[in-house]
Amino acid sequence: MIVESQARRMTRTLAAYMVVALFVFPLYFWATTAFKNAKDIFNTPPTVWVFEPTLRNFEEVFGISLGFFRQQEVLPGGGNFFMAPRLWDSIVVALGSTLLSVIVATLAGYSLSRMDFRFRHLFVGWVLSTRMMPPVAVAIPMFFIYKDIGLLDTYTGIILIHAVMNLPLAVLLLKSFFDDIPRDIDECAMIDGASRWIIFRRIVLPMARGGVAATAVLCFIFSWTEFIFVLTLTQTGLKTVPVVSSSFVTSTGTAWGNMAALGVAATAPAFLFILLVQKQLVRGLTLGSLKE
Amino acid sequence: MSSVEYCGLSKSFGTVEVIRKLSLSVAEGEFAVLLGASGCGKTTLLRMTAGLETISEGDLLIGGRRMNDLHPRDRNIAMVFQNYALYPTMKVFDNIAFSLQINKMSPDAVRQRVEDAASILNLTEFLDRYPRELSGGQRQRVAMGRAMVRDAQLFLFDEPLSNLDAKLRAHMRVEIRQLHSRLGTTTIYVTHDQVEAMTMADKIVLMNAGRIEQVGVPDDLFDSPRTRFVADFIGTPSMNFVDGAIERDSGSLYFVAPGLRIPLAEQIAVNAAVTAGLRPTDLMIEDNGPLTGRVRLSEKTGADINLHIESECGAIIATVSRETQVGQGDTLRLGINPKKLHLFDHTRGLSLRNTRVA
Repeated sequence: MIVESQARRMTRTLAAYMVVALFVFPLYFWATTAFKNAKDIFNTPPTVWVFEPTLRNFEEVFGISLGFFRQQEVLPGGGNFFMAPRLWDSIVVALGSTLLSVIVATLAGYSLSRMDFRFRHLFVGWVLSTRMMPPVAVAIPMFFIYKDIGLLDTYTGIILIHAVMNLPLAVLLLKSFFDDIPRDIDECAMIDGASRWIIFRRIVLPMARGGVAATAVLCFIFSWTEFIFVLTLTQTGLKTVPVVSSSFVTSTGTAWGNMAALGVAATAPAFLFILLVQKQLVRGLTLGSLKE
Repeated sequence: MSSVEYCGLSKSFGTVEVIRKLSLSVAEGEFAVLLGASGCGKTTLLRMTAGLETISEGDLLIGGRRMNDLHPRDRNIAMVFQNYALYPTMKVFDNIAFSLQINKMSPDAVRQRVEDAASILNLTEFLDRYPRELSGGQRQRVAMGRAMVRDAQLFLFDEPLSNLDAKLRAHMRVEIRQLHSRLGTTTIYVTHDQVEAMTMADKIVLMNAGRIEQVGVPDDLFDSPRTRFVADFIGTPSMNFVDGAIERDSGSLYFVAPGLRIPLAEQIAVNAAVTAGLRPTDLMIEDNGPLTGRVRLSEKTGADINLHIESECGAIIATVSRETQVGQGDTLRLGINPKKLHLFDHTRGLSLRNTRVA
């Protein structure tokens, strides 16, 4: 560690903690709201640290009774939201579109990185330019197209549109990961007698694992949080979490507790996914930073 | 193993011509070293041989067969790269076995071959490790093992020792040479290190700016450089060059430069503009030598001393034995054996001496 005075280091550490607190506090407040009763949520001044925890918000959101944790088994009133299928929709759409874009993007990224073909340098610009179109401008034409070809309100439709939205960035990202792998390795394998496909599958792809993981995380998070396409291209067949969470805003008030509960539940799958690929992710971020 | 023939080979990248009408033949089983400074085209030539670069003009024949349009994987060539290009996600065993496995050799035969190669290269105990767990020299040997297991008709080495430290480099030089005498495979070896070239080559091909300056056995290049470039490139410290003229005086020929007059040992046409080349090792301290100078710096290399001398005809380096008692600032006289004098045409840099033919 580099030498510096005690006072300076203390100040720096303190500032770092304050910045962290600034970012973490809203998350903490949101997460605790999911476990608060309505009176704690609307209290002035707000209850931050001390409140009586409850699972009621989750019960209402998912239409199940967690009596195991609590004495009272029957929910008062009616109104359950039955959000569990919506969570499932989100998982299917996010995993499906991530898988699709990663498969297409690795192949495209490798080709762009290694193969020589006409207009290759233009291709990268073209890929980027598709990113310049704001989604809202695409959403309405897509609605009519989807309606005509029958993709409206289907998993396939949403998975496709999310994958297509993710592809440009995924291709560019993976291309740069492939660019970092020395060409000598490809050439050496070629002289060893390997075909392009064998080089890609047995040598280059395993080396780019970290890049693939990083790309997958980005695609997953995009799809998990995407709002406008799901809103316009679905009706009753499926709805993902970001869209249905707006249904907690009703004419008789906003169900903050329920919304927070759904939010907390929705972070779990994304968190799990990132946890699974995390080991590869760290490798991806450090690969090539040190001389082998 | 096969012979290699380059017939009028040229290579251009856009408008830049990297190799110009190069012709060369490497005999079956020969160890040829392509030597030259960075950017002289030696690596490009090697990559063209492997099929990693297209050939703009001319023909490449390996074993008598034209190879210009053959894909690298169909050329049956093995190549060792400068950075070894090991496959980092595979263990040493799989690295060596890769080419055999993709050619669908039976697992038993693969194991046999890999183990044979590993025992020759002292890699047996490392077969289960990943390349990142090996030292530089071990990685180098894995790269060689990968080339060895194949029955390649030609070995190509692209500066394979430049990433190793000096001691290991000397050791690996010997190992590569031994490997060559054991396998007898035709080898083309690219390096910018003249010591590697001198110690390893059957034949040195010295390249400069996309052309061949001289081809010959190592002694040839050292003793009879055909151009000033060759004379300058081969030998450490480099040859000293003195500009002067050849004059005839009462029937004898002399090389004359400011403060220097050396009788010539052979008949050469009188020429007003020549450059004389003097190897530092050919200069000796003599009380009545023809060249006077002052020692600016004395450099001990261990085995001997390099004296940097300020003389009337410019800065000169002389290599003398370590017993010599000379200090900085001393004035001394240097003697020159006329037979060891190299004379070059001043404008074109060509040797004026009849070059011995190998």
